[in-house]
Amino acid sequence: MIAQVFILSSKGDRLVYKDFRGDIGSDAVGLFYDKVTALTGDQPPVVMTHRNVHFVHVWQGGLYLVATTIAADSSPFAIIDFLNRLAALIKDYCGALSEKTVQMNFALIYELLDEMLDYGYVQSTSCDVLKNFIQTEALSSRPFSLLDLANVGLFGADTQQSKVAPSSAATRPLQGGKSEIFVDVIERMSVVMSTSGVLMKAEVEGEVKVKCFLPSCSEIRIGLNEDLSVGGSHLAGYGAAVRVDECSFHPAVRLDDFEAHRILRISPGQGEQSVMQYRLADRLPLAPPFRLFPAIEKDAAGRLLMFFKLRCDLPPKSSAVNVSASIRVPNGCISLSQELSSPDQSAELQPQNRAVVWKVPRFPGGTQLSAVFKLDIPALSSASMMEVGPVCLTFELPKVTASGLHVRFLRLVPTQHRGPTQRWVRYVTHSDSYAIRI
Amino acid sequence: MTDSKYFTTTKKGEIFELKAELNSDKKEKKKEAVKKVIASMTVGKDVSALFPDVVNCMQTDNLELKKLVYLYLMNYAKSQPDMAIMAVNTFVKDCEDPNPLIRALAVRTMGCIRVDKITEYLCEPLRKCLKDEDPYVRKTAAVCVAKLHDINAQLASMLIAESHPNSNLLDLNPQTINKLLTALNECTEWGQIFILDCLANYTPRDDRESQSICERVTPRLSHANSAVVLSAVKVLMKFMEMLPKDLDYYGTLLKKLAPPLVTLLSAEPELQYVALRNINLIVQRRPEILKHEMKVFFVKYNDPIYVKLEKLDIMIRLASQANIAQVLAELKEYATEVDVDFVRKAVRAIGRCAIKVEQSAERCVSTLLDLIQTKVNYVVQEAIVVIKDIFRKYPNKYESVIATLCENLDSLDEPEARAAMIWIVGEYAERIDNADELLESFLEGFHDESTQVQLQLLTAIVKLFLKKPTETQELVQQVLSLATQDSDNPDLRDRGYIYWRLLSTDPVAAKEVVLAEKPLISEETDLIEPTLLEELICHIGTLASVYHKPPSAFVEGSRGVQHKRLPGSAGSGESVESPDTGSAPVASEAPPAVIPSQDLLGDLLNLDLTPTTTTGPPPPSSAMQMGAMDLLGGGLDSLMTAGFGAPPTAGPPSFTAPVSGGLDDLFDLGGGVGMPMGAYVPPKTLWLPAMKAKGLEISGTFGRRAGVVQMEMTLTNKAMSVMTDFAIQFNRNSFGLAPAGPLQVLTPVSPNQSIEAVLPLNTVGPVMKMEPLNNLQVAVKNNIDVFYFSCQYPISMLFVEDGKMERQVFLATWKDIPNENESKFQLNDCHLNADAASSKLQGSNIFTIAKRTVEGQDMLYQSMKLTNGIWVLAELRAQAGNPNYTVSLRCRAPEVSQCVFQSYEAVLKN
Repeated sequence: MIAQVFILSSKGDRLVYKDFRGDIGSDAVGLFYDKVTALTGDQPPVVMTHRNVHFVHVWQGGLYLVATTIAADSSPFAIIDFLNRLAALIKDYCGALSEKTVQMNFALIYELLDEMLDYGYVQSTSCDVLKNFIQTEALSSRPFSLLDLANVGLFGADTQQSKVAPSSAATRPLQGGKSEIFVDVIERMSVVMSTSGVLMKAEVEGEVKVKCFLPSCSEIRIGLNEDLSVGGSHLAGYGAAVRVDECSFHPAVRLDDFEAHRILRISPGQGEQSVMQYRLADRLPLAPPFRLFPAIEKDAAGRLLMFFKLRCDLPPKSSAVNVSASIRVPNGCISLSQELSSPDQSAELQPQNRAVVWKVPRFPGGTQLSAVFKLDIPALSSASMMEVGPVCLTFELPKVTASGLHVRFLRLVPTQHRGPTQRWVRYVTHSDSYAIRI
Repeated sequence: MTDSKYFTTTKKGEIFELKAELNSDKKEKKKEAVKKVIASMTVGKDVSALFPDVVNCMQTDNLELKKLVYLYLMNYAKSQPDMAIMAVNTFVKDCEDPNPLIRALAVRTMGCIRVDKITEYLCEPLRKCLKDEDPYVRKTAAVCVAKLHDINAQLASMLIAESHPNSNLLDLNPQTINKLLTALNECTEWGQIFILDCLANYTPRDDRESQSICERVTPRLSHANSAVVLSAVKVLMKFMEMLPKDLDYYGTLLKKLAPPLVTLLSAEPELQYVALRNINLIVQRRPEILKHEMKVFFVKYNDPIYVKLEKLDIMIRLASQANIAQVLAELKEYATEVDVDFVRKAVRAIGRCAIKVEQSAERCVSTLLDLIQTKVNYVVQEAIVVIKDIFRKYPNKYESVIATLCENLDSLDEPEARAAMIWIVGEYAERIDNADELLESFLEGFHDESTQVQLQLLTAIVKLFLKKPTETQELVQQVLSLATQDSDNPDLRDRGYIYWRLLSTDPVAAKEVVLAEKPLISEETDLIEPTLLEELICHIGTLASVYHKPPSAFVEGSRGVQHKRLPGSAGSGESVESPDTGSAPVASEAPPAVIPSQDLLGDLLNLDLTPTTTTGPPPPSSAMQMGAMDLLGGGLDSLMTAGFGAPPTAGPPSFTAPVSGGLDDLFDLGGGVGMPMGAYVPPKTLWLPAMKAKGLEISGTFGRRAGVVQMEMTLTNKAMSVMTDFAIQFNRNSFGLAPAGPLQVLTPVSPNQSIEAVLPLNTVGPVMKMEPLNNLQVAVKNNIDVFYFSCQYPISMLFVEDGKMERQVFLATWKDIPNENESKFQLNDCHLNADAASSKLQGSNIFTIAKRTVEGQDMLYQSMKLTNGIWVLAELRAQAGNPNYTVSLRCRAPEVSQCVFQSYEAVLKN
């Protein structure tokens, strides 16, 4: 059970403070801030303890959301989950989670907390249940305006001409507004690849999220690929089938039609929900999006020469954006000179990270880039060659899912609600940890 | 208009301004003012001066405003109890409001105000709200009962008793478990967590029940909320202990556990870390669950360092011959990373792989050598430390690498690495040509080295001397004098002297001692100790699992903390950790020297008038009893089949015999012995003098009547005022004695009145070994104060009625108990013949099994059994005409012998 909940700004100011059980003094706030700021990088920040008070916190939107407890049998999982839900609810109600919105809406947050926790026991975190009890109107820091739509793409993608959903939906409070519904398929990809291109590890973690702005929510049906197979390797005969190793669903999802037709039925509450989470390891349906062909040598002047060819194996219509390759280099690099194949790319040496960072803003599928880096390293030895690599890539693949999972259709079961409803389905794959060894 | 302005800095007359605004007529203005007050409260400013003004705003039908006022009240009522009373009327009125939101709000807030005077008024509205038509109000009221229990337990239990007479809500039995399992499918995720945690405390009766619970919990593993998943894992891990391993279902369950654990790792780093700490425990207990999932523990380059370190740890635990190549390739990558701590741990991990998987040792060593070539200082040092360990595991196998190591001697600056290097040089001195030079170079700065290095250097040089005596005499003398004459460190000095004397008296012996073959180091290092691991498995998903410490280690005044144990497996019984033979089934905590008054006080405040709620749930102590019985049963079984050829089915029958076997026993004896006289009850002694207890005098004794242990007391009031509200509580004690009911003192005790009270006891309370064993610390409460005293009970009252052993079993057990567990006592001045003694002892449940007469000596063989399942066997020798008896006692827990003998003495002499 939770004894206190408080929200602190990054500077340690109390924004919200609520005591549920009265067995810990309010000095816990100061104690927490001292402790959290004194942490060094390698100490796990998750659970901290002082005497018999345990602090569990998450860091979101530049704020510390903290819960304290003295009960040894409290579950840190439950508390972290609760704090994450709290953050999500604040986002749902106030549009965003920031110092400003929390300050503006502290009365609302107190009200939320009051209903979510009683005597330190979690009562409910469902937006649908809570909205029956909440009286205070949320105040948004910036009224929703069509102007915001003008030039912001989805996930930072440069996609002005393509038809994308308004990104400001992500930072909009629930109350009022148009009736819209978003279904996002978001995947994170972890790959470890050897120099020769052999996949040593490949993993995709994905999530289907529904963000619902419908004033009265009816049932929606989300149709996934009909050939989606879950778990069993027995079905993966000809490679065409979309496969996930395991998946879990939001408790409110009805799976009556899932076995036969791969349809998820849900009555979404207002706000954001993660409807389905899935994981897929090892055998990805598509080739990994990037391959690297390195060549590293020492030149006569004792400099380290690195030639890289980076190929994007996405289908030609898709492209990757915000690609950044971080190349680990040996200790003691002094300077870098580079030759890049186009002017929009850039590269810089970051000595503190022992890395050269090569940035490509946009990388169409089926193309190849090359680069030459020359590094001055005074103490270059044969052993330092071992220190080169791995190359770690970060990127976004808009409109692509690495698992091949797609939403066939998104249907709203008709209700009394009139007026047009905007339906959006969005896909994106992020890199989680994409490393190529040299 | 936004709320942020409330946080802006304040002027001097702020309180005044607020006061004026609060008393304004306009609703909007009022609301704004209360918001400002709350904002000040949040940042920690004292706005308690505004209490009356804020309370005035309470009478409103605006729910938003009302909530704000209540928020304020919760915070300040405690500091202004008198003022808070002003609010009571509104609370009571609000509890009857037509709007259920207001009713719930009022009940919830009232419960949060921890002011005694308010509590009195709380009960009536609470009672009404518990029967409210609206479920939301009922739910809020139910939580409020819990709040009330914290403030005033008595009132709360009254409320509970009204709706649930004669039932103990906390009792876990198959019916309630079934209800909980049904509810599991119907409640919210948070409710599921509570239910699963509660289930984990239940001990199923057999493996079938265990399996059926597992089957019903398994679907929770695919829940989206990771806390639900982990609580389900805890239940399954615990109940799995009871399933026989050859069961198909066991294998299925193992397979089902892996995917959810892997899924936990896709969460944010914070949750990942918590998950990894738990997986670390699970992997140690049941490595088979995740043995195929090695890849998920490979480190991602963007993991935070604390996640990386934890993953590395699990990787090593999972390393086996099957996956070692993969692991090693990964570790080699990690060893060239940037982060120093991580690199060090990776290098260490390579060494641990070498030790764990013999086939990979060679490859590990060559990997380490590659790493040494990088000349990165900390990598080299770490590599040398682990190579030393590899040498200790595989002596004389990889000496070829020594040359490479010696090249790096100069770069070593950490004591651990220096000590490791010196050890290697000393150990392989005969293979290193310039060993003497190398060691001599260390000797120059001998006094600046750390103790670790100094000790290692001393030993290494002595080894060198024994191997190459001719060239190194000077060196060894130098180091011995440095160690013995110039050092302040007693360890070093003593070791120096020992070597010196060894060398000077008998160099051959010295060689045998110093160069003796060393035991190999074990494969698994830094495993958590098994009993701690078992306890931690019971705490999966809680804070204990993150700290890897039992709750008692980090909860102050560990009230209510019990040591949990995994249930034993049924059927095969192979995984039961049977306690060491001879150890008494008492908790291993050290006996406290004084009564921990705070602890007791805490317990007393929790004291309830209903008997069953305060006594802790019995599982821990009963588990111990089970352990003891197991031990005995097992021992006997094996003996009977091995030594005596008795039919193995004979078993110890008394385990299953009903407790009320007194009569049977009587017939058993063949009627030749005489009537049992009932258990001996010692006369009352003064336990608590009136001087020490503000006029309350207690004297009392213990007895066993009709199979029930009783505490019989006389309470005398020697004070001037009437005493009421008696209650009693025991501290944890050796045999888990606890009151079986409340202390029945129904009428107030007026001055100079004495009252007799009989308190039935049971033995299912918490156990802690006391000194002396039969010591009992008691707290008695009355309307005046709480008083503590301690007394000693005769252990004979713990002898149970079914303590008669079969002759065969007796014989076997007697022989089975080692001689050193036998205690002999002299009993002087006892003028009874053997038969009279036997019948007298029988009254106290000390049963005579056989009688023999050898050369005029009567030998009585007797057995008795304690409530916690310990058997005590006795041999009583009496010589006709000699008033001195000899009593020999044998017991697997010899600690009890002294107490048992005291009982003999007491029984026979009265």
